[in-house]
Amino acid sequence: MTDWLSILPHLILAGGGFLLLCVGAFGKRSSSGLLFALALVSVSLAGAAAVWVVPAAPQFLGMLEVKGYGRFFTFLFSVISGLTLLFSHQYGKNRGLRGEEFFSLILFAALGMALVAGAVHWLVFLLGLEILSLSLYVLIAIRKGDPGSNEAGVKYFIMGSVASAFLTFGIALLYSVTGSLELRLTLSPGLGAGGLSVHLLGFIFILVGIGFKISMVPFHLWTPDVYQGAPAPVTAFLSTGSKVALFAVLLRLASYAGDGLWGSLIPFLWILAALTMTVGNLSALAQVRVKRLLAYSSVAQMGYLLMALLAVKQNGAPAILFYLGAYALMDMGAFGTLATLSGEDTDLDGLDDFQGLAFRHPWRAAVLTLCLISLAGLPPTAGFIGKFAIFWAVFQSGYIILGVLGILTVILSIYYYFKVIVALFMKPPILPPAAPPGMLADRLAGGVVLILLLLLGLFPGAAFSVIQQALSFWAKVP
Amino acid sequence: MFPWLSIILFLPLLGSFLALIFARRPRVCRWTSLGVTMGDLALVVSLLAGDLQGRFGPGGKWLLFEDFPWIERFGIRYTLGLDGISLVLVLLTVFLTVLCTLVSWKQITTRVGAFHFFLMLMETGILGVFLANDLFLFYLFWELQLIPMFFLIGVWGHENRVYATVKFILYTISGSLLMLAALIGLYILHGSQTGQYTFSLQQLMQTRLPLATEKWLFAAFLLALAIKVPLVPVHSWLPDAHTEAPTAGSVILAGLLLKTGAYALLRFAFPLFPAAARMSVPLLLGLALVGLFYAAWIALAQKDLKRLVAYSSISHMGLVVMGTAVWSSLTLSGAVLQMVNHGLTTSALFILVGMLDERVHSREVERFGGLWSKMPVFSAFFLFFCMASLGLPGLNNFVGEILILIGTFSSWPWVAALGFAGLLFTVIFILWVVQRTLFGETRDPHIRGQAIPDVTAREAAILVPLAAAVLFIGLFPGPILSLLQEPVGALIGLLK
Repeated sequence: MTDWLSILPHLILAGGGFLLLCVGAFGKRSSSGLLFALALVSVSLAGAAAVWVVPAAPQFLGMLEVKGYGRFFTFLFSVISGLTLLFSHQYGKNRGLRGEEFFSLILFAALGMALVAGAVHWLVFLLGLEILSLSLYVLIAIRKGDPGSNEAGVKYFIMGSVASAFLTFGIALLYSVTGSLELRLTLSPGLGAGGLSVHLLGFIFILVGIGFKISMVPFHLWTPDVYQGAPAPVTAFLSTGSKVALFAVLLRLASYAGDGLWGSLIPFLWILAALTMTVGNLSALAQVRVKRLLAYSSVAQMGYLLMALLAVKQNGAPAILFYLGAYALMDMGAFGTLATLSGEDTDLDGLDDFQGLAFRHPWRAAVLTLCLISLAGLPPTAGFIGKFAIFWAVFQSGYIILGVLGILTVILSIYYYFKVIVALFMKPPILPPAAPPGMLADRLAGGVVLILLLLLGLFPGAAFSVIQQALSFWAKVP
Repeated sequence: MFPWLSIILFLPLLGSFLALIFARRPRVCRWTSLGVTMGDLALVVSLLAGDLQGRFGPGGKWLLFEDFPWIERFGIRYTLGLDGISLVLVLLTVFLTVLCTLVSWKQITTRVGAFHFFLMLMETGILGVFLANDLFLFYLFWELQLIPMFFLIGVWGHENRVYATVKFILYTISGSLLMLAALIGLYILHGSQTGQYTFSLQQLMQTRLPLATEKWLFAAFLLALAIKVPLVPVHSWLPDAHTEAPTAGSVILAGLLLKTGAYALLRFAFPLFPAAARMSVPLLLGLALVGLFYAAWIALAQKDLKRLVAYSSISHMGLVVMGTAVWSSLTLSGAVLQMVNHGLTTSALFILVGMLDERVHSREVERFGGLWSKMPVFSAFFLFFCMASLGLPGLNNFVGEILILIGTFSSWPWVAALGFAGLLFTVIFILWVVQRTLFGETRDPHIRGQAIPDVTAREAAILVPLAAAVLFIGLFPGPILSLLQEPVGALIGLLK
């Protein structure tokens, strides 16, 4: 008998998305409040289901992992989508982001993320990836009248298609060697010398495909343009949800990979991690437009995660999971508050747009500042514990040079994060006040981010035991 | 056991949130801040008055000790320990913070709530550094004190504040992130040797390190601490930060923040890496001496009174580092005492310059002169603290300096001799300042024609306790030295 209950969160997200489309099509024109509420309820229910409904079997039909790891990420994506909805509430009022298509696309994208992160079969992975990508193409270009938004949509579409092509080809190569589409089987078997090279090639194609999506250097060039062009809440969603989902897959692949394969991958990953940290942080230094600055910062953040990925065989996975959660919160908070601080039409852009906002909107500025401090990795925030865990894992597994390089790039990053804080607090305002007063939804989202960042920064023990539990199921799966 | 240390540590944090809550009512904020900081001072003083005997913690050497598990996954514990050295510096911290709220009473008129929020947040950070006995906890507080300072300088500072505060944060964080790397390295080495991952200072001191590794780790610590102290050549953030900070910021920076660097040097860096530390002694002594001469030399060329005082900080802190590096019971006591002394006199000088600035809106030495006839009480205080700063016998600095130099003489006679010569330079430039500001004719015609009000009651309430403390330590250093005796002995024992 099929255990439908175990994919309840996914069903809720899909059902919620379709329900929203129906309500939008047949309901009254002015029901955007109802749509918003429905979307928020679906996301909350999905999150609650991920927490409280304990699946009987670890996997669903051998396709989708529903226990442990998969559950952890399903919950995380519910939080991310919920925060995106809250942050876009006020922002969307003046920009037409209140239709059924916006809300349902967010839900579908969340479903895609959950499928990608939970997939143990390449078909489910591709299915989830396409659901996610298609939703994002539309979400990025959702402001039809805005040329920047459209350009960003097209850019992301082209990059995304190329990435999908790479991924599919890589999967085909793996299939040709192993004759299987199950993730674990395609990666783990001991192969002869000839098999290994095709195997490695396939993995590298997959790595390139994922590299596009998580904006790993040198495949990151689309990132600043798309992040700048997309509406800020969508940027928040894109930079957190989609990256976390793809990184979850990367982590799964890395820990499934057999020793021979992994051994030959390590030099590549070493160089990619070093490049991503260095180039991301160096490019961010010169930016004076905050969305682009945050885009490069998110590139650099992926670099830290890639560095930790090297330690995955020496128990580096918990650090990565913690950092993914922390990263999702702080990046979401940064782009989200940027959205709520934006005026009625355009998004805040240059550093001078941020000048003097701190004392005009103290609470939102405080949330933004805490997110930046967390991104910079200073205590007492989740970002600090995350960085600590990552560097611990990296040093522990003997990558001293890479770790020190990482620390040096973190020092670089301090400059640009504090540049934004300086503009917020220490420069006189230039623009007339434009941001709407904070609404309940903004405050709620900002408050959640603020409290979670501090809680995870001061008392990370509980989070780590959840992570440990999530990973312990993983080890038991054959 | 009653958690006295935690209460002392977190009372200011509570106060900082109160200040945010009352942010719209400046008067309430000021009184809250004064009440909370006074309360903390009262707590520490009552500890001092109580029955203090070293009987807690590992080895039964601590006056007070608190130890709870915190982040068990990484073996991180919430461990606070108070011994004589910490007690003296904690007392200095709570005392100076009370003065800071008083100093800011009239000077800070904008965003009062946020100002006091950061001020008290910083107090918690600094107290944490002096009390932490778990290296992770120490690092947390070490970073926590930087961010409020960044805002204090950047929001309430003078004209060039943004440049100064960004420079400050970049210098200090660069150092401390490298220290974090070394900290993690040490933690992993210890864990792989004993199978027990911990950040406890007592246990990490037992780690057996290969000399090459130890050198690297110590170098990272030393860089972070040298930036904070600061030693030449990584001092250049300090004059800028001091000059641009509001008076309370300068007081905290000079009086307390620099001390955290020197304190960490003798509490953490030397005991954790004894072999490497011993090898670095000539380097440290050399840098301290260079600082002594260089800072005095540069100070002579300064036009801004605050910059002058800032450079005198560098030379005084050089002496503290000298005392630490020699590592004998005489010099260590002298170094800790000198930290307190420097905290008192330099803060007093910054406060006085701040008062002058509030009155005539200028800090340029060239414009003053003849202040004695205009504001005699102010000038008397100024002269008094200048004399203390140049080490007049009977006042506090003399005791610390003489302890350090005599202790140094027995093992490094030439260094001590050069140190004395360096102090002579300090005397020269301080006398030069006194002469140019207090005596002769007022050079600026605008100030000459102005009637400048003398010290008010509030200002007297700030200056009199400072002067009393200076005089007390100068005449009766006994009580403080006896507090230091036991912990200094323990530190000496660690490096045998």
